[in-house]
Amino acid sequence: METLSDNALMQKVKNGDIDKMGLLYERYHRHLYRFLYNMTRQKELSEDLVQNVFIRMLKYNDGFQGYGEFKTWMYRIARNTLYDHLKKVKNTPVHTDVTEYETKIAGEHFSDAQIEKEQELKLLEVAMEKLSTENRELLVLCRFEELKYNEIAKILNTTEGAIKVRIHRALNQLKSNYLEIDH
Amino acid sequence: MECKEYREQFTSLLTDSIPQAQRSEIESHLEGCANCREEFESAQKIWYLMGEMTQPEPSATMQSDFNAILSEFKKEQKVRKNLLDEWINKLREFLYLQVQPRLAYSLLLVAFGLVAGYFLHQPGQSAIAYNKQIDSLTSQVSEMKQVMMFSLLQDPSASQRMRAVAYTEEIDNVDLKVIGALFTTLNEDPNVNVRLATLDALVKLADEPKVREGLVRSIDLQDSPLMQTAIADVMVRLQEKSSVRSLQKLLHKKDLNEMVKFNIEKSIQRLI
Repeated sequence: METLSDNALMQKVKNGDIDKMGLLYERYHRHLYRFLYNMTRQKELSEDLVQNVFIRMLKYNDGFQGYGEFKTWMYRIARNTLYDHLKKVKNTPVHTDVTEYETKIAGEHFSDAQIEKEQELKLLEVAMEKLSTENRELLVLCRFEELKYNEIAKILNTTEGAIKVRIHRALNQLKSNYLEIDH
Repeated sequence: MECKEYREQFTSLLTDSIPQAQRSEIESHLEGCANCREEFESAQKIWYLMGEMTQPEPSATMQSDFNAILSEFKKEQKVRKNLLDEWINKLREFLYLQVQPRLAYSLLLVAFGLVAGYFLHQPGQSAIAYNKQIDSLTSQVSEMKQVMMFSLLQDPSASQRMRAVAYTEEIDNVDLKVIGALFTTLNEDPNVNVRLATLDALVKLADEPKVREGLVRSIDLQDSPLMQTAIADVMVRLQEKSSVRSLQKLLHKKDLNEMVKFNIEKSIQRLI
């Protein structure tokens, strides 16, 4: 069977074939989960937000015009969902989930090199959390979601050149955060 | 290029978003420049380390949860659609049951109105009655104007008396009573302007022989130069030959204005 493109599937959803959203969910819910988890560092919340993103896509399928890419549209909705949530909890303290590195280290036996690597990863995680939401988002989209500059530019509604400069600055910021904690 | 410019490209090198030629150029610079190499390697380390960060997997139930949401959504959509259909049907039924008899009833009423109107309407009678009414109203208005005129003519204010004179033009059938009142004003009113206005009003009624006689008689009675000239002019305009004698008599009057004298002589010439 020929696999349909994202856009073709979404067009079908728009025309009333709602089941096709299940296929899109299968394709993308992990990506969205990763994006939202890296932005919030809360597992359950991220799962809820993923569901919300897809519900929004169902409800507001009019917003999908068909000439843009489905992926870009999806990430835009994901960002809106995320930022709506962040606005809502702006003044409440955020509890982030405990990372898995600690438990791993505690439970098993590791070589020095492995322990050092785990340490570094832990530091990096702290350095990531110290980034502004903006910078973290850029790096998450670029590094974890592996999106191209031009795709990110479309999601954030800006130019490719601007994205290139901003990601470079974000990585530099992460590096200096990391070095600062390391010392 | 300087080191600073090379360094700006490091991230693009890591994200692999740079053309091959530029990439080779940066790489060859890195081989020669220890500072830049160190800078790049530290960025590279972070970049690779990020790639090694554990990415959590969503729980396995998420897909089935979403399938449940989806079928729920579908059901809702269906219900909404059914609800809409139901409303449309209800509306249709309502229109059928309610509006049809009403429509028939109103058509019947219109038809009844037309028939009744046809029989009740008898054009000749009503038109006559209507005209009669208009006539009686018109005569009433005319009478009212007369009464108004008489009372205004007694007014101490000259402007009110002038208004009264002006009213005579609006009275359709001027009777002797009105003409008499006008002549009284023409001969006795203390204000020249009122007298002049009255003269104008009387000239318009000059078809009446009584009015012409009255005007000729009035020549003797005027002592204001303005009035004397005006009345002489009127006589010329009316070609009233019987006025010549009165005018000649006026010429012999004492302390007659020179200008008036000249005018009257001219008038007499034109009349003869």
